[in-house]
Amino acid sequence: MSARRMPRSWSDVAGGLLLYGLAAFSLLVLVAPSLVVIGISFTEKRYISFPPEGFTFHWYWAILEKQQLIDAVGVSVRISLAVMLICLAIGLPAAFSLVRGRYRGRTALGAFVVAPQMMPGMVIGIAILFFGSFFAFRQSELMVVVGLSVFCLPFVVRVIMARLAGIDVTLEEASSNLGADRAQTFRRITLPQLLPGVLAGAAFALIEAFDNLTVALFTASPRGRPLAVELYQLVQFDSSPIVAAISTLEIALALIVVLVLARTIGLERLPEK
Amino acid sequence: MSAGVAGVVLTRGIGPALPAIVYLVVFLVLPLGFLFSFAFLSVERGEVQAGSFSFLHFRETLSDPLFWRVAWRSFWVGVVATLLCLLLGYPVAYLYSELRSPLARQLLLVAVVAPLLTSAIVRTYAWLVILGGRYGLINSMLIDLGLITRPLRILNTDYAVIIGMTQVHLPFMILPLIAALAGRDRSLEDASLALGASRVRTFWRVTLPLSIPGIAAGSAIVFALSYTNFIVPQLLGGGNYATLALQVYEYIIVILDWTEGAVRATLLLVSCFFFVFLITWAGNRAMRWTEARP
Repeated sequence: MSARRMPRSWSDVAGGLLLYGLAAFSLLVLVAPSLVVIGISFTEKRYISFPPEGFTFHWYWAILEKQQLIDAVGVSVRISLAVMLICLAIGLPAAFSLVRGRYRGRTALGAFVVAPQMMPGMVIGIAILFFGSFFAFRQSELMVVVGLSVFCLPFVVRVIMARLAGIDVTLEEASSNLGADRAQTFRRITLPQLLPGVLAGAAFALIEAFDNLTVALFTASPRGRPLAVELYQLVQFDSSPIVAAISTLEIALALIVVLVLARTIGLERLPEK
Repeated sequence: MSAGVAGVVLTRGIGPALPAIVYLVVFLVLPLGFLFSFAFLSVERGEVQAGSFSFLHFRETLSDPLFWRVAWRSFWVGVVATLLCLLLGYPVAYLYSELRSPLARQLLLVAVVAPLLTSAIVRTYAWLVILGGRYGLINSMLIDLGLITRPLRILNTDYAVIIGMTQVHLPFMILPLIAALAGRDRSLEDASLALGASRVRTFWRVTLPLSIPGIAAGSAIVFALSYTNFIVPQLLGGGNYATLALQVYEYIIVILDWTEGAVRATLLLVSCFFFVFLITWAGNRAMRWTEARP
């Protein structure tokens, strides 16, 4: 460690300044847009402009007057809950089999299940739209759920697999040696250790399905649009600060989720997966 | 319930994985087959013509100079956004790996992860406000400072699209870089410093080569996301702006020409995988090259 405290040359100082200067700039670029949007949402002007003038909650009340937005939130909540449940119901057993199974081709199968995460959402959406056209399966809430569960499943399986691979099997063996049956061992030994992975997977599916536009744009019916699609229309055709107000609510929701994740799983684990 | 789950969960067989595999085959592999086949078949009056299999649609698209102009733009916009993400993301990941205080680390991660949890529209919308016409943040600031008299045209140009892409995809670059840098073995750096190498030299010769896997992973993700993103070009590029991904959206949703949409989607997907493969391959080569270097 003493080497790290040696006198620095001017080029080291310049290099350090450049590095930390760029890091500060980049953090500003990450955070500033959200702050700008939050500021705009309270403006008294009727069009988006910066800096905001005055202070009003008018645009938040305006959201409540747009019935199609309220409906869209309901659609999105239903879709994201369904997607999360499907992903957990088929993803959790799959992760167990793909990590603990003893059969040939297990690794290849794991690669097959995780591979679709490289697939752009747009391609998944279009593929399911075309596929449905052959079976009189039309754009609908159900089609969005199918598309998004395909889109989210690889991530959910991967997160749970990563967690499962890190669990010490000897604890489970000890539990069954001490007379616990399989159900008890699963409930009291495996599940508690696995929970952070399951929570992370569930949170991911829930948030992605709620926010997703790339899949939903192709699979949602024009009646009963999810919030993301509704917002996409609004951003293009409405220049009032109402979009800023909705965005601010979404940013607040995201911050709450981040805090919950930090408390339950620890954000440090996110880069690992 | 729990007894049933445990009974299944502890079996060592393929059984528990089957529902997921069947689901992906039915709702991903099969639909992709339909998507690709649309690019080869002809449709007349809403009916797919049996036996019309041909490369005709591909030949027409590939011989269109306009297609190549649009494809080239998609490519270089993706490349520039990836390089900018690397330039901006690396210092953040490095800063994270040097931070000692757990609180500072947490705060940095919140700044990186929180934007990921807001929708793509919210993040792109912010740039409409910042870059937008006369009343946008940048123009009103520059005018107030007296640097310019007439608002600059940033929105609806390549610049706006590149800025938007870079910011929206920055977290996807930072996370793999953090994974590569935070877990690195520091003894090599200490050895290099102890042997009298400067910090800058130590960074170039030791730290940077160690993080090549993170650089390759981040670049592959960011390029793939930028290359296939149609929301940012749609919102920040303006009415006449075209990228390959945006054209796919327009052919399928606006023009309702599914054949041409399928052709372009197939070309987009195949070329995207090719470039991702190229980046991964280059990363592996660079890895071996630095290991072999004296």
